[in-house]
Amino acid sequence: MTLHLPNRRSLLRAGGAGMLGLSLPKILRGEERTSAIKSRAKSVIFLFQWGGPSQLDTFDMKPDAPDTVRSPYGPIATSAPGIQICELMPEMSKWMDRVSLIRTMTHKMKNHASAGYYALSGHEPPSDDQRLRDSLDLYPAYGSVVDHLMPNTNGMPTFVAYPHVMRDGSVVPAQHASFLGKQHDPLFFLEDPNARDFALPELSLPQGLSVDRLQRRREMQKLIDQQNRMLEYSNQARGFDQYYQRAISMLTSDNVRKAFDLSAEKESIRDRYGRTTYGQSCLLARRLVESGVKFVTVYFSNSIGGRRIDSGGWDTHGFDDTRMYKIVDKYHLPITDQTLPTLLNDLEQRGLLDETLVVWMGEFGRTPDINKNSSRDHWPQCYTALLAGGGVKGGYVYGKSDTHARFPIENPVKPEDLAATIYYLLGIDPLTEIYDLDHRPLIIGGNVVKDVIA
Amino acid sequence: MRRVLVVFLGTFLAHIAFAATPTPIEFSVDVMSVLSKAGCNAGTCHGNLNGKGGLKLSLRGQDPFADYHTLVFASRGRRVTVNAPEQSLILQKATGQVPHRGGARFRSDSKAYKLLKQWLELGAPPPSKDALSVTHLKVEPLQAIVRDPNDSINFKVNAVFSDGTSRDVTESACYEMSNLLARVDANGKVTRAKFGESTLIVRYLDQQVPVPIAFTESRSSFVWDEPAEFNQIDHHVFQKLRRLKVNPSPICSDSVFVRRAYQDVLGRIPTAAEARQFVHDESPGKRNQLIDSLLSRDAMADYWALKWADMLRVEEKVLDVDGVDAFHDWIRASIADAKPIDQFVRDLITGVGSTFQQPAANFYRANRDPSTRGETAARLFLGTRLQCAKCHNHPFDRWTQDDYYSWATLFSQLDYEVGENKRRDKLDKNEFVGDQTVVVSKQDEVRHPNTKQFVTPKFLGGKQLIESQAEQRLGSVADWVTSPENKMFAATQANFVWYHLMGTGLVDPIDDFRLTNPASNPALLNFLADEMVQSGFDLRAMMRLVMSSRTYQLASEPNQTNVNDEFSYSRVVTRRLPAEVLLDMQSDVLGTAAQFAGYESGMRAVQIPGVRRKRLRDERPNGGDRFLQTFGKPERILACDCERSNGTTLKQVFVLMGESLNRRLAEDGNRLQALVDDIDDDARLVDELYWTALSRSPTEVELSAALQMFRTEKRWSSIESVFQSPRTARLRVTEDLVWALLNAKEFLFRR
Repeated sequence: MTLHLPNRRSLLRAGGAGMLGLSLPKILRGEERTSAIKSRAKSVIFLFQWGGPSQLDTFDMKPDAPDTVRSPYGPIATSAPGIQICELMPEMSKWMDRVSLIRTMTHKMKNHASAGYYALSGHEPPSDDQRLRDSLDLYPAYGSVVDHLMPNTNGMPTFVAYPHVMRDGSVVPAQHASFLGKQHDPLFFLEDPNARDFALPELSLPQGLSVDRLQRRREMQKLIDQQNRMLEYSNQARGFDQYYQRAISMLTSDNVRKAFDLSAEKESIRDRYGRTTYGQSCLLARRLVESGVKFVTVYFSNSIGGRRIDSGGWDTHGFDDTRMYKIVDKYHLPITDQTLPTLLNDLEQRGLLDETLVVWMGEFGRTPDINKNSSRDHWPQCYTALLAGGGVKGGYVYGKSDTHARFPIENPVKPEDLAATIYYLLGIDPLTEIYDLDHRPLIIGGNVVKDVIA
Repeated sequence: MRRVLVVFLGTFLAHIAFAATPTPIEFSVDVMSVLSKAGCNAGTCHGNLNGKGGLKLSLRGQDPFADYHTLVFASRGRRVTVNAPEQSLILQKATGQVPHRGGARFRSDSKAYKLLKQWLELGAPPPSKDALSVTHLKVEPLQAIVRDPNDSINFKVNAVFSDGTSRDVTESACYEMSNLLARVDANGKVTRAKFGESTLIVRYLDQQVPVPIAFTESRSSFVWDEPAEFNQIDHHVFQKLRRLKVNPSPICSDSVFVRRAYQDVLGRIPTAAEARQFVHDESPGKRNQLIDSLLSRDAMADYWALKWADMLRVEEKVLDVDGVDAFHDWIRASIADAKPIDQFVRDLITGVGSTFQQPAANFYRANRDPSTRGETAARLFLGTRLQCAKCHNHPFDRWTQDDYYSWATLFSQLDYEVGENKRRDKLDKNEFVGDQTVVVSKQDEVRHPNTKQFVTPKFLGGKQLIESQAEQRLGSVADWVTSPENKMFAATQANFVWYHLMGTGLVDPIDDFRLTNPASNPALLNFLADEMVQSGFDLRAMMRLVMSSRTYQLASEPNQTNVNDEFSYSRVVTRRLPAEVLLDMQSDVLGTAAQFAGYESGMRAVQIPGVRRKRLRDERPNGGDRFLQTFGKPERILACDCERSNGTTLKQVFVLMGESLNRRLAEDGNRLQALVDDIDDDARLVDELYWTALSRSPTEVELSAALQMFRTEKRWSSIESVFQSPRTARLRVTEDLVWALLNAKEFLFRR
């Protein structure tokens, strides 16, 4: 018994939904193709930087630009010759020889909701519109696509996402399986990994219920089910019964339960990641990939933020008399410089980095021109994504931005290309098609950025 | 560079001019059918929205002129080389001589190759304006039953052209199966993979024909059981079953029937007393009596309003909480007052005015532009998905882009008077707060996206809107949609009732009537559509007709002959109950109410008018809300029954095993505690719990297992008496037993 139905079966079910134009041989060919691509990464940790970090104040410094453009912070040399990053990330600078930067991420969505959807799905939204509603006709999350095409068979969930819901007004689409069906939704939770009593309600027995009583309930349920033949002739009923078996094993003793037990970590390790929601979320991500989860999405913050030094995302416009450079230096950059290198280091120490792809990116960058609030606004035309481990090169920069980090001048990369690269590294053909509710064939990714692959 | 190009094109055009005289090869017929046959223009290949590998063809060859241009001129004409046809990229790619993601599509010794090569040798002549078109296809046979040991069947396809000539196109037509029960080869030979029913879609150029095929076991010793027909429905169903050599399952037991009828009509289960009374009733007409009495109950309107509210997008963000209440009350009252369905639909189509005062106007409040209105109206009232035709002609149906926009523009003459709209979240432009007035107003007609011209309003697949109809445009649309002559409407509404009672639509999905998705029993669908009209579009009359059929009352257990039946109604489909029904059933068994954010305690889940009365950030969802979401209550953003999920997930099991149900089992003052106090005898207690949850007595095994649980627990507590009183012990066993009952498949599934 595994957590998810095997690949073949879910494809058959998709076919049974009455779609046209998709015959079994075609599906099988798709499957063969998928397996023909070498899987370089076993897992992905996707660190989504909600709000939109500034490329100019992190990984694409332009010290020679005029002071209306360049960061007030200086660049520092890093472990990778020729690559400079922001001086507020000294720890990160020691890691640049083991990461790839894509400095030419680019698209045209200026709103958080549409850009967020693009970043989380690799699909360009129908319009650049705050009104984009989270509905079943929009594209699923990366992890759900992975769960659909290459589900785990090791008893662990394929896709786990936490500890926030991305929203800016409306909930941002592409945080769940959408038209692929609820069975491909992430194991998602809002509990704070930094809370003292962090535990998943799903993985805890209800209060006052012993394992013995749980077993007694299950035994009686089985007996009742034996009084008719439904488990014999109804696939759905039988499948549901198998979920009970699985859930009970997860509740009693199980790898899943252990994976979520942060208290098993040394205090010193926990401190190193940072006693923040984000820090402990990243530590949990490491535990999860270690126990075999394939796709972990950690959302940086519960809001676009940008106005406080103790919470929120990267959306630093300087509104309401706040100032970007009195915020990112106290909150976003220090947290990033503490947690990200610690995660990479921890993965490396455990021999996991080679098989774990870490992706760090937001939904867009920020304007090269510093605005009248001495801050920066939305800028999707050019921003930076960071990739590490999982088969990507170290000390490598892909793409070249212009002197103000305003536009790509070489090798632009769209979100669908980055999506394709992630799928490819996992061993999934980015040309694989999935079908929406109207049976439209949709390709999961764009062009693989092969140059970043080691 | 530019000069070179011009010269090149010049020589090229000379070739074309040379070839403009009539040739034996017509691009729009011969070449296009080769491209279709090889799958080049399939939605998964170059027919894709974005094309593939830089080449984009019209989907399934809808536009020969555009495709000609793409193949011959686009990309600087690099795809064809008329001077050296075999060097042409289209041939080299298609045969895999140069790398092609789509693989080799045909061999260089194939007819397809020869035809394309010949076309190139002739100088790649363009499609001619007066080329013959295909008027229809003749497929033989037009339907088939294939009995074991036969496992395959061949078809012959003739295309009839506009000049009356016909041609055997069996080899060049395209074939697809509607499901994976059978496979088809390039020459139209269909071979069984599993027993069951499938449809072969035969396509040649722009014509398609569906061919239903059933693969059955030989059953040489088959004897028709001659089940008695209760009404005409059975006649149509049994005719088909007999043809397929399938016997229906026997009639279901009374305790299964009473449960099924309550669930389907009221969205709840009978109380122990109601179930006992029905099961023990000896009178012969008791099933029909029960149907009549259920149809007259108030709760029927609650449950059937839910089904319409799902599709009419009754949802707070767009309609406001007050609008949701007004619209939902109106839907519910329409059903309670037995408003004929045609009248109900007319009210929606003509619904204008204040959305708080004239609730039907919320239909247009939720559907805010002509395209959305047209799509929704087609989907809900005519069972037709038009979305595909927004961007290209519908690949699986007869609808063209022209049809789409001519229909959409019928709904163009509307505007909104929006009041203050004080959004609680100013960033959330989906949100509309306060009243709005939908007004009929002079607006531009919709423009066709290709021609950029205003389109002429036309009824879907029907006539142009005439002058006298234009004045009361919405009224005219309502007249046309709800007319008894409009078979699409009657069939869609009949199929809606059938689907909700039988679990599978005669056309399924219910909003996807199309040429290539034929009804599983066309005679039955016709009959029901006629009955719908005859009854004056009376919902209850239709429900009574279906429920009093033998077909509805069959058991779900299969027999030897109908194990593989999915679409012929030889047994009842087992399916997980909808979220709201399941939660209400739990509440009824436990005698406690589930809690929903924003509502007083006591609200039943099926009565909830909208989706989310309180924003998540204002109030955390309650146990009830989470249950509904996990079990697939729709968000009501799409006007589609498909938004509701009746699938099963691991998370649902976690909810059923978790904290909230456990707390309700032990809640002070619930029914379990009352029963434990009222009934001293354990066996009687068990019996009562079984009737309450499963509408039946426990079997002997179940009873003895339950009594064993009581004995063990009591023995345990006599040793550990400090910890547990005998009452507590009984209560604990009762909780565990009821948990098992609430988690039995018999409880969670309708059968």
